[in-house]
Amino acid sequence: MPSFKRASGGAIRARLDARETALLRELLGELRTLLGAEIRADPVVQRLFPDAHESAEEANAFRELIGDDLAAAKRAAVAKVETAVGSEGRVSTLLSEDDAAAWLTVLTDIRLAIGTRLEVTEEVMEEELEPDDPRAASLDVLHWLGWMQELMLRALTPLPER
Amino acid sequence: MQPTIAPERTEEIDAGTEHAPDRPWLVIVWNDPINLMSYVTWVLQKLFGYSLGKATKLMLDVHQRGRAVVASGAREKAELDCFRLHAHGLWATITKSD
Repeated sequence: MPSFKRASGGAIRARLDARETALLRELLGELRTLLGAEIRADPVVQRLFPDAHESAEEANAFRELIGDDLAAAKRAAVAKVETAVGSEGRVSTLLSEDDAAAWLTVLTDIRLAIGTRLEVTEEVMEEELEPDDPRAASLDVLHWLGWMQELMLRALTPLPER
Repeated sequence: MQPTIAPERTEEIDAGTEHAPDRPWLVIVWNDPINLMSYVTWVLQKLFGYSLGKATKLMLDVHQRGRAVVASGAREKAELDCFRLHAHGLWATITKSD
């Protein structure tokens, strides 16, 4: 089970077992491919690089203005997670708050990619799919990544005292 | 046709657009079914320095009403805010306020 806990000194101790790390590594590779894809017609690419303006003309002008900056920012975050994940074995490492923030945005981009590909709605996100539903496996991954995000957020922002 | 009147009309329109820079640009975050409510709240706190209460209220506006204005200001600032929101995976657009 993934675990993200605040360690002494403010760092976050991240732990994933070998199977989880292998899955994350595979997903990171897929995200890298998507970030390099210049297929504007792909809804997933559109969701990762949304229009900044409702008018197509202004949206395109803004896209030209920022050039590769948004993709570069996303790739930089992926690189931080790749460093922590390594090329083999499990994750057991200390993350700075910056690293943890990169994990959160990368997990988000992977979730956006999976969710957009599945065309999920809020209803689908809340319902239990039948095991033979072709979307079930991907949805499980989506929820697993979301759970990791929740654990990371809890480690980063202690809940207020009640 | 009264061509002599035209220059005056043009002037009027020009005078109107000169005030346009005073109208701020709005940064709007749109609801999406994928991002976690806790994550959206965290992003709004991180990027804009909002309190947990303010960020939570804005997140709930996005979730329940479909969109919320999360920041406003000069065009360049709004564009930068929008860029940072996109870098964090939120669906954001900017528009000039009416």
